[in-house]
Amino acid sequence: MTRVTQVTILIVLVILFALLYQGLWGDPHRIPTVLVGTRAPLFEGPDVETGASLSSSQFAGKVILVNFWASWCQECKVEHDNLLRLYEDFRDHPDFVMLGINYQDEVEDARAYLKERGSGFAHMRDVKGTLAIAFGVYGVPETFVIDKAGLIRHKRIGPIVGDAYTQLTKHVLTPLLNDANPVL
Amino acid sequence: MSRFIPMLFVLCLAYPHVAHADVVDETAIDKQVRAIAKTLRCTVCQTENIWESGAPLARQMRDAIRERVLRGESAGAIRAYFQSRYGDYIMMEPPKHGINWLIWLAPFLLLFGGGLLLWREINGWVTRTPAPRPDVPPLDEASRRRIRQDMEPPEV
Repeated sequence: MTRVTQVTILIVLVILFALLYQGLWGDPHRIPTVLVGTRAPLFEGPDVETGASLSSSQFAGKVILVNFWASWCQECKVEHDNLLRLYEDFRDHPDFVMLGINYQDEVEDARAYLKERGSGFAHMRDVKGTLAIAFGVYGVPETFVIDKAGLIRHKRIGPIVGDAYTQLTKHVLTPLLNDANPVL
Repeated sequence: MSRFIPMLFVLCLAYPHVAHADVVDETAIDKQVRAIAKTLRCTVCQTENIWESGAPLARQMRDAIRERVLRGESAGAIRAYFQSRYGDYIMMEPPKHGINWLIWLAPFLLLFGGGLLLWREINGWVTRTPAPRPDVPPLDEASRRRIRQDMEPPEV
């Protein structure tokens, strides 16, 4: 076997092992999304707490943070306080809207969850799961940021904690609210 | 009593037909939903298609497919919708474009490369096996007899 053949086999094996490693131990939160940069789906549904109808058309022209959650989701509980803090930090901005979307849940459980943990912003029920599919949701929690033009500019799979919180508030929401591009 | 026994007999004969009377077949809509759902990957279980998955998201996706079939959308349009939401990842059979070609061609390329390597190695062994030297005289009969004797098992 020549030296060139040996090196070629070694390179092929290294590539195959790298792909295997990525497939088995890669971060599933980093599944690439095809939705960033595309128009956000139009949506409507009942408010979790009041049952009144909510619609995305009410929020046209604003920066919307959409967070998919469920009462049975452990990671949603982990990020909940951060979401409340984030809302407190940005709520006074006239162009900011925050919307929770309750996913695959019983309405009574969702209401009890919000009563226990607090809820400063509106929450909509995704009754048939069609909204989650329209947003390409894999599981909860997932968070999207929609800009003033109605384009999805950011998607986060997993809880908004640690660096993800900083990334979302400083590098995505703040620039978008100031009509600048997010720093991704 | 004389009438009851024949009636019972007739009822027993009729039972299998009665028992199977409520068996229903798939509707055309069911068949379309199944055909489409089998081509889409369950995004939370990953190794199953959404037709076979018991995950709630897969069930909701089946319902979404049914709604779209009932609205008259084609199978291609429904698949394209799911692909637009989740990317190529949701397709059980990766679409043949771009980097996806690697998935389709890699097994054949590896098979070809491996076969070529094997062929070269075997060819090398054959080439390296020394041919009989023409200057060495063939064994005479006495030498052959001695070798045969040497190879026989020793007498105990």
